[in-house]
Order: sequence, then C-alpha cells, then structure tokens
Amino acid sequence: MDRNNWIKIWFYVLAIIVFGLAALYSASYENIRVSRQVFFDQLHFCLLGIFLMFFLGRIDYRKFYDAAYIFYFINLLLLLFVLFSGRHILGARRWIEVGVLNFQPSEIAKLSLILVLARYFTSRKPFLIFSVFSMIRGICIDFLVPLFITGVYMLLIYAQPDLGTALLLFGVLFAMLFVSGIDGRYIGFFSLLFSAAILLCFFWEPLSDHVLKPYQKDRLLVFLNPNRDPLGAGYTIIQSKIAVGSGQIFGKGWLSGTQNQLNFLPERHTDFIFSVIGEEWGLIGALILLFLYLRLILVCLNIAENIRERFGILLSSGITAILALQVVINIGMVIGLFPIVGITLPLVSYGRSSFLVFMIFMGFMLNLSRKRSIF
Amino acid sequence: MRIKIIKYSVIFLFAVIVINLFYLQAIRGAYYYKLSAFNRIRVIPLQGWRGKIYDRNNTVLADNELSYNVLVIPQEIKNSLGLINFLSEALETDKKKLEDNYRRNKGRGDFVPVVIAESIKREQAIRIEEEKYLHPGLLVEESFRRFYPLGANSAHVLGYVGRTDRSRLAKFKDYGFSPQSITGYSGVEEYYDAYLKGEEGGLQVEINSAGEQVRLLGWKEPKKGQDIQLTIDAKLQSIIEESLFGINGSVVIMETDTGEVLGLTNNPSFDPNIFIDSKRSKEKVTLLNDVKSPLINRAISAAYPPGSAFKVPVALAGLERKKVSANTNFTCNGSLEKGGITFGCTHSHGPQNLLQAIAHSCNVYFYNLGIILGSDIIAHYAKMLGLGLHTHIDLPYEEPGNIPSRRETIFKQKKWYTGNTINMSIGQGDVLSTPVQLVKMMAIVANEGKIVQPHVIKSIGEIVDSRFKSFQRILINRSVFEAMNKSLRATVTEFSGTAHVAAIDNLFVAGKTGTAQTGSKSEPHAWFVGYARGTKRNITFCVFLEFGGSSQNACLLARQIMLKMRENGLL
Repeated sequence: MDRNNWIKIWFYVLAIIVFGLAALYSASYENIRVSRQVFFDQLHFCLLGIFLMFFLGRIDYRKFYDAAYIFYFINLLLLLFVLFSGRHILGARRWIEVGVLNFQPSEIAKLSLILVLARYFTSRKPFLIFSVFSMIRGICIDFLVPLFITGVYMLLIYAQPDLGTALLLFGVLFAMLFVSGIDGRYIGFFSLLFSAAILLCFFWEPLSDHVLKPYQKDRLLVFLNPNRDPLGAGYTIIQSKIAVGSGQIFGKGWLSGTQNQLNFLPERHTDFIFSVIGEEWGLIGALILLFLYLRLILVCLNIAENIRERFGILLSSGITAILALQVVINIGMVIGLFPIVGITLPLVSYGRSSFLVFMIFMGFMLNLSRKRSIF
Repeated sequence: MRIKIIKYSVIFLFAVIVINLFYLQAIRGAYYYKLSAFNRIRVIPLQGWRGKIYDRNNTVLADNELSYNVLVIPQEIKNSLGLINFLSEALETDKKKLEDNYRRNKGRGDFVPVVIAESIKREQAIRIEEEKYLHPGLLVEESFRRFYPLGANSAHVLGYVGRTDRSRLAKFKDYGFSPQSITGYSGVEEYYDAYLKGEEGGLQVEINSAGEQVRLLGWKEPKKGQDIQLTIDAKLQSIIEESLFGINGSVVIMETDTGEVLGLTNNPSFDPNIFIDSKRSKEKVTLLNDVKSPLINRAISAAYPPGSAFKVPVALAGLERKKVSANTNFTCNGSLEKGGITFGCTHSHGPQNLLQAIAHSCNVYFYNLGIILGSDIIAHYAKMLGLGLHTHIDLPYEEPGNIPSRRETIFKQKKWYTGNTINMSIGQGDVLSTPVQLVKMMAIVANEGKIVQPHVIKSIGEIVDSRFKSFQRILINRSVFEAMNKSLRATVTEFSGTAHVAAIDNLFVAGKTGTAQTGSKSEPHAWFVGYARGTKRNITFCVFLEFGGSSQNACLLARQIMLKMRENGLL
C-alpha cells in the first residue's frame, strides 16, 4: 500500500508533465509570439522540480509543522515587497526579481497558507456547539482566526491584482475548514456568507466599482456574454472555445492545430495551454489528461484517508483541494464554464513558480504516503 | 468521513467538465471545426476618430476627413490577375504600383487583410463596392484621415501621423497597437498620442466560403479620441512664418507670466499633409532626404552656441556672488591676452561697467568676469536658469544642449584651460543651447526669478491642464535681477546698444543679442533673446537665425514680428 501510492504518484505526475511538455512544444512550435525558449525553460524547471519532489519526499513533513508560521511571515513580507517594488508583467505586479531568481510570491503563498492553516487546525480541536456562548467562541476561534490568516494573503494578492489566486486561497480555506471537522452548521453559514459577499462584490454597482478593476469587470460581464467585447476580453473566450471545439473527437494532430499555430490564442502557453491540448488531441487527449488528474487527486485523497495524524490529514487535503480546484477552474475557464481568471493548469502551464510549487506539493504527498503512524 | 465527501465532489466537478467537453468537442465540434479550419471569423477593424487639435482661439489645426481604403485578403483571392486588372482600371493606377503596395504591406498569415490602395475617391469606392462580389477577397474600408487645414502652419508643434512603424509596434504592442493603427510622429501628435488616439473598435463576423457575411458575432464601437487645445496662436504663427520666409532659423514666442508658448516656428518647415496622402509619397521622400532636414524642430531639438546671449547668466553669477557690483569697471582695449592667446572684442570700448558691458556686448568685460568667477560657478548659474538641461516642454525629442565646466571636464580625464573659461564666458566653446532654453532663461530674468515652464498644451478634452500653473522661484536675489533688467533694457534703448534697431515706439522691449562664431568660413549664428511688455500681454521671445550673420538681422526680424503683432492686436 505504502510503496504502491508512492509509485502511483510518481507515475501520474510524470505522465502529466510529459503531456504538458508535448503541448508546450506545440504551443511554441515555429511561432513568433511564443518563443522556443519557453519549452526549454520548462524542461529545465522540470528537472529541477523532479529533484525537488524527490528530495522533499525524503524529508519528514512534520518538520514543516514547526516552520509553518515562519514561512507564513516571510511570505507575507515577500507579498508586501512585490506590491511595492515588483516587476510589472501584463499590467499586474506579481514578480520579484532577485538576480537570476524571479518568482511570484503569490504562488508560494499557496504553500505557506496550507502549512499554516494545517498547523492552526491541528493545534485546536473544533468546538462543539453546546450553547450560545460556545457557539460564539467557536465562531471566533474556529472560523474568524483562519479567515483572518487567509484574508491577509487574499487582500495582498488581490491588490496585485490577481483576483483568481485570491479566490483560490478562499477555496482552500473552505476545504480545510471542512476537513478540520468544524460543525456542519458553520459550513452552511460560511457558504451562505461567502456567496452573498461574492454576489454583492460583483453585481452590486456601488461596491463592484471599488472591488473590481475595470478589466476584471469586463471579464466577468464578458463571461456572461462573450460577444459583449468580441475584440477584447471576449475574443479570448470565443477563440479558445473554437480551438477546443474544433479538435472534435480525435484532434487535429500534434503541431497542427490551426487556431494555435495561427496565433489566434493569446496566453496559450500559460493559462490557455488546455486549448492547445483540446485542439490538437481532441476529446480523447483531453479525457486522458483529465483521467490522469482525477487519478492523481484520488490517490492523494486516499493517502489523506489513511493518515491518522491531524496535521498530515489537513496538509494532504489542502494540497489535494488546491490541485483539484486549479484543474477544474482552469479547464472550466478555457471551455467557457468560468470567467477568465489567471489560474494555471497545474504541472502543465508554463510558469516557473507555479510549476515548482506543485512539484513541492507532490513531494509532500510522497512523504505523506510513507507515514503510516505518528510514532 | 468528510474526505469522502470531497472525493465525490471532485468526481462530480470532473464529470461536469467532461460533459461540457463532450458537448463542445463531440456534439458542436463540427461547427467549431468549420469556424477554425476555414478561419471563418474575420475581424474588421474600425478606426476610432482621432481627437482634433485647436489653437488658443479655437482655430482648427488638425482635423479628420472621411476616406476609403481598398484591402484584399490573400487567402480568399481566386483570380489574382483579374482582381489586379479590375482594380487598376477602377482606380486608374498602374498595375505595378498596386502589386508593389501589396508586397510592401503584406503581413504574416494569409488571412490578414492587406491595404492595396489608400484614400481613394468616393465614386471609385462605390464602384468597387458594387462589383466586389465578382472578386472574392476584396474589401473597401471606410476610415478617417488626418487633415491639417493650415498646411505647414505650426507643423513642428503639431507633428504628423502615420501607420505604426516597427519599433513603435514592438514598444506599444501591449497597448493594442497594430501595424494598421495610426500613430503620431513628433510634436503634439506624438507627445499626446495616448489622448488623441481613439480607441479602435471593430466587427467580428462569421463569413461563408464566398466571403459573404453570414452573421455578426460581435461589435465593438470605436471611441473618439480627446480634442486638444494648444496655447499656440495660429495667426501669430503665420506672421512668424511670413517673416522667416527664405531665412533659416527659428522663432519662439512665449507668454512671460504663464509659460504658454504662443508661437514656435522653424524654417525650413514642411506640410504634415504630405505624410497622409499616399499620392504625395514622392514629396515625402524628398522631404526625408532633404539636407536641410526640415523635419527637425530646431527650436527644441537643435543646440547651438548661444554666443553673447550667454552673458546673461555670467553677469547674474557675478552679481549674485558679489564678485562685481553694478558699478565695477573693467577696461576694454579691444582684446585680452591670456596664456599667449589674444581674445578679441568687437572694438575698443574703454572702461565699462555692467550696464554698458551688456548693452555694448563687450567681450573683454566678460573675459575678466569669467576668469574671476571660474567655469564651475558659471555652469552652476547657467543650469539654474535652465541652460544645458531639458526645459521639459511638452514636445518630444528635446535636446538638453551642453554647459561645460572645469569640474566635469577633469572628471572625464580631459584638460581644462583658462582659455576654455574665457571662451565659455561669452557663450562660445562647448556651450550649446536651444532657442527654447534661452526663452525660458529670459522669462526667468523678466519675471525676476519666477520660473515658468514653457508648454504648448492648454486643455485636453474638457480638462484644463493645470500642471504648469504653479511656479517656483529661483534662489537669486531680486536686486540682482533688477540690475540685470536695467542693463537688458539699455541694450535696446541706448543709442550705442547692440539691439537698438529693435526699439519700438511706445513698447517696452529689452533683450540681449548674440553673434555666435561657427568657424572661420561660415557666417555666424544670429540671436536676439528678449522680452516685451505690451498692452495685451507680456511676451518673451527668441529669434534665432542659422548662419544668419550679424545679430542685427535677428533684431530687425524681432522688431518686424512685434510690429505685426501689435497691428493684429496680439501684443
């Protein structure tokens, strides 16, 4: 069982990576917008990532229990730093450059947040509701403190502006709260509050003008009706739907996607890489990739189920949640199910920080698959 | 357990995605395949109307007119020979020229429309539109064309427009610039391009194999750019243009109190309409190859030795540092010898105080003053008055000029001699400044220390530009400026003053002349920088004549312009 999961994780991760590299090769194939360098860069991250994953698989994950808060604060400083002096790419300030090293603290924030939330929930047993008093205490300690921990990150990332990642962190909080064994009534209350807040922020004019940047609002409205702005934000959705749809069942074949090769798709090596897969490998290819992701997620959940120690359970379920959310949101956005938010396809999209963070996550999972008991 | 619930929700979400993928790829796949395989989506760009430019009296300086362009889509051409024949007949042009245009404008990808003829006549456009169905791949595009009603008037202030060139495209690609979009080049058209430029809109249509539109997928309304009002006075510009006729040089006239540039004209100049009309491409080529480089805005982008006009900062430095007083005398014997070299003066002036030295433009006085001050202090004060630095006038490609100093020269591991200081103190040697810098300098002197910022913009859209409305003061004593202004006034009023020819009855004119040596063979540059206090407004002006000979020429020209200004009620 132990060894079995270890092999399964390695197999699915490597399969997804190879799949992604092939797609990236095609996306940058004889292309003026996306340089060949993109592919080779990703190849380098892959080697680095595999090493990282292997290495982390051998370090006891419980060591990170002690370091969780330190990670959290260092990352907080990095996020603040990037907000005031980061590098601009495509109108957003997300990168930090330190010599040859440039990275996105908002990607690493996913890691720090999962660690710190896992530690927080481990150190506290959820309150059971006996009375009004215990309910208030429960709300404060089980609910408001983690909300604050996540909220600080969310605000900083939202200010970059990166609405997608900020909301993703919220999803992670939700999943981990759920797993931490909090009373079901809180969960109901929480989801109601969340959806009310979202609806208010997005659709109530006086508030939405402050919360959403004009382009974010555009994207949202465009999602509701892609033809609203066919040359701007809507163009991407229309073109990406055409790309995926035109792949039909068997696809147009590797390196021969016309939508992709003719530069119809912007950002196709990062957030929209799935459109290349859908176009060139068709439904079959897309289903294979989805199957690999699903299997990987289920293996991770299996591991989570078999751990008897709280920190491990929380850590693994947080990791699984973020993996699943990103896959679903990214693919959903490419096929027009969700509004366009800047969320990458894990292990496939081009992007150093995002890729390496997921390799680190998988390293944790390797290690989690080894531990069978606390002592 | 709760992890089970998570497991089922993940499976549920994946199922939703799979169902959608199945719908998109298997059920609707054929439709999307059709859209993609034949590239059945076409984006027809619609130009946004570029903002108009007005002068201060609301005279239109730059307008737009409707024009028609002919475009072809390479991949849809069935019979290229027939198409070319038809077009050359309809447009009454050479086949070869059309082919050349096609080759030159052809972009990457066969689906990108290629401009084959620009700004054709309305009747021709109608004819092509009528017979378009016979020739698949043919398009007629309606667009706006820039039009400058006053021709060469204010050409250097306005600049011109053209299709985006390669370097700009690389720089502004993220801002939605395409090779087809119109961009401003030089002048206000470039500096305020972001405001003037309308937002491009377009139609996205699905077409069938015959090139006919099947349905409209989307439409984005083009947006009009913002109108701009300048501080420039078109009437004054034509006065200057007339006066400068046949003479190379530039004239800048600015309101002394506000820094609003009323007139900025250079000769040789150009007609910006040449760059828009494709039929005038020959004129464009001659313009670009002209050795006199008429495209250069000399008033801001060309730096010349200021000659004696540079004596103003030297004198200010001397007074402020208390090295001389208004009554200090130096005796001029017609030359000064230093280090075995003789530095000459125009003639032997005898004993001169500051007022006389400036009025007579005595070099020996300033040689002596320069040696006492040293080049570092002169450079410090010159830079305080804005020489050797960008004035930050809101026009592109401004030159900073150059103010040398001993300190900087030694820092560059070169030698600095007293001779350099002597040359520097009369504005020769490495001293270079632009006409607009001298105007700014003179305005600071006329305002007794209030720094004004030369600018050409009055308002953008509805918003009045208030960037230049706050003024700082220069750190020089007011009494110094008073003494300086007395001397500058004497230059014009005194019978022996170098600018006496510029004197006008009932008008306060003050200034400083300059005759800058440019080498032994060519004529010197002629300068007259000064200010006048009229009944309507106070102006500061700089008249610069390139290789114009004696500074008297510049003075006469300035007088002529000011007289005409008064006639027309501008002064």
